[in-house]
Formats: sequence, structure tokens, C-alpha cells
Amino acid sequence: MTHYYTLVTALPNLPPLAECKQLPISRIALNKRLTLLSDADLLQLELAEKLYHQSEVSLENLPDKPLVLDWQRQLEKITSPSIRECISNRLEWQTLLAALRYRQNGSSGPEDFQGFGRWTQRIRRNWHDPLFGLDAALPFLGKLQPLLNKGHSGELEYQLNQLLWKDLLFVERSFQFTLETVICFVLRWGLAEKQIKSDAKLALATFKRMSEQLLGTPAITQHLESAFEELS
Amino acid sequence: MDNLILALGWAGLYGPMALGAIGSMIGCSLAGQAAAGALLETETGHGRYIGISAMPSSQSIYGIVVMFALNRELTLDNAPGLAAIGLLCGLALMFSAIYQGRSCASSINVSKIRPEIFGMSLAPAAIVEGFAVFAFIFALVISAGVPV
Repeated sequence: MTHYYTLVTALPNLPPLAECKQLPISRIALNKRLTLLSDADLLQLELAEKLYHQSEVSLENLPDKPLVLDWQRQLEKITSPSIRECISNRLEWQTLLAALRYRQNGSSGPEDFQGFGRWTQRIRRNWHDPLFGLDAALPFLGKLQPLLNKGHSGELEYQLNQLLWKDLLFVERSFQFTLETVICFVLRWGLAEKQIKSDAKLALATFKRMSEQLLGTPAITQHLESAFEELS
Repeated sequence: MDNLILALGWAGLYGPMALGAIGSMIGCSLAGQAAAGALLETETGHGRYIGISAMPSSQSIYGIVVMFALNRELTLDNAPGLAAIGLLCGLALMFSAIYQGRSCASSINVSKIRPEIFGMSLAPAAIVEGFAVFAFIFALVISAGVPV
């Protein structure tokens, strides 16, 4: 097992996800530091990142069954059991949320549902149960379902990211100066980046909505119209 | 057979020094690598990181002292005793230096995040040092019983 004493201490501290308003290191600077990894370990990191932080394009381009098969194939290439478990956990949550969404939309039945991990069969069997009969095994799912039903997708993503963050932090602290520490850090960095980006998107949407509302008020419209008349 | 016993005696004589030095090399290297990484991330306090990374070098000094304490004319009577004390003391020093290096690396890693816990984070490394001191002192005490 290779130890990365210099690399691990060269990585900055990531504050808790709730307090993460700015990334402590840019991707360019992070990549520069990650050059300290061996080639084989760098490939492991890239694979872990690809599986953990699925791009929207990759999710849209493939139907569910080949996508799940691809995940399973890729996951076998991850050598660290702890990292494999973290990624499996992430993909299982993705499966659970997909099942909740499919059921809500009514676009798919239990027989067509394809998912990753240990809960898939149970989801199919208990399709009409609000939490797929997983109330005891996954109490956190009970917290996410109302958010999905109310359409609070931003809050749902935040809650799930919090859970994944804790999971990654636990694994990161269980190892010292190994590849697992580095991979967990980079995956957490990805979660923080996603959160900051979604915050920015949310802020932009709120600003647009507010400006539209403001511009729509009669007093301001009148004021603007009179100002334009004066100018012309 | 006599030659083997004498050779072991010589190994016991030089063992504390050589094994202690091997441990210090590894320990200082581990802590030094961690210190080098921390230099990238911190604006101040660089000197203390370098200082910590030199902590595992004390085992080499203990090894030298034990070597001098054991140094005497080698005979078939005293060679087994010298081999036992010297090699066991050397192994204790070597492992303590390696693990102290790892403790120092962890200390550097956490005190980089929270500088105020710097002193407290050094406690594990100091405890490991304590065990090296035990091995050193009792090697000196017991060496008095080896025939000159």
C-alpha cells in the first residue's frame, strides 16, 4: 500500500458542507497536487470520481439497464473495498431516488424498474409501499420522500449530500495517508463544488424572479415608462 | 560455532546504533514528507513542522550511547549477553523511531488544520519517545551485568 504523506498534508481543510461557501482550493491547483499520485492510483481516483459524481450527460444518454451494468463493471475495477462501498452506497441512493421519481411520475412500473445494489429487488417487490418496505433499514429515506413529494429538489439534494459527506468523512478519517484518504477528500471536494454551484444557480433564479416581480409592479412600470418618455 | 557467537556479539554491539539509525531515517523521512506537504498549505509556523520532523532522530543518539556502554573486549563469555541486549534494544529503538515518525506526520496534518492544538497533538509522539527512553535506560542498567 502506497502512503502519500506529502500529498495528504498538502490538501487543505474542507469546512463542513453547511459552511462551505467557497472552495479552499481550485480544481487546477488540486489537480497539480494530485500529480503526486502514482499512475495506477490516479486512474483509481478518476474512476471513483466518474462513478460518484455522475454527469447529467452520461445519465441521459443511456437507458437504465445498460447504465447499471456499466456501473457494476466499472465498480469491479476499484481495488479498495472501502471506496467501493462508498460508491455503492452513493449509487444505491441514486437508485432509491430514481424509484421514488418513477413511481411519482407513473412513467414506469415495478417490472420495468432497473436499479443498482441490494435494494433493487425489494423496491420491485414493495413498489406500492410508500418507502418500499425500507422504513426500518433506511430511516433516512423517510426524510427524503416528503421533500420529493413537495418538489423541494434542492433541499433533497442538500440532505442527501450531507449524508454522503458524513460517510466519506468517516472513511477518510479511518485511513491515514493512503489512497483512500485522497479519494475521499476529492469526492468531498466534488460534493462541495456541486453545492456551491447549485447555490449560485439558486441565487440567480431568485434574483431573476425578484427582478421580474419588481419590474411587474405598476408603480415601477409607470416610473420606467415616464422615464423612457422623457428620454425620447 | 565460536565464530558465530562472536559475530552475534559484534552485531549486538553495533545493533543499537545501526537499528536506531535505520528507524530514525524512516521516521524522519515520514514526518519530513508530511512537513513538506504542510508547507504548501500554511502561511506561517513552517519552522515548527520541520522541528517536529526531526523528533525521531533521538533514537540514533540513544543507540550511540548504548553502543558505547556495551563496548568492551569481545569474548565467548560476554558475546551472547551483548547480542541479546544490543539487538533487542536496537529493535525497540528502530520501531519506536518509525512509529514516532508516523505520529509526527499525523500531528503535522491536524495542527495544519487547527494550529491551536499543536502542543496536544504532539502527545502521542512524546509517549512513543518515552518507550524509547525506557529501552535505552534499561539497556544501560542491564549492560552492567555483562562480563567485561
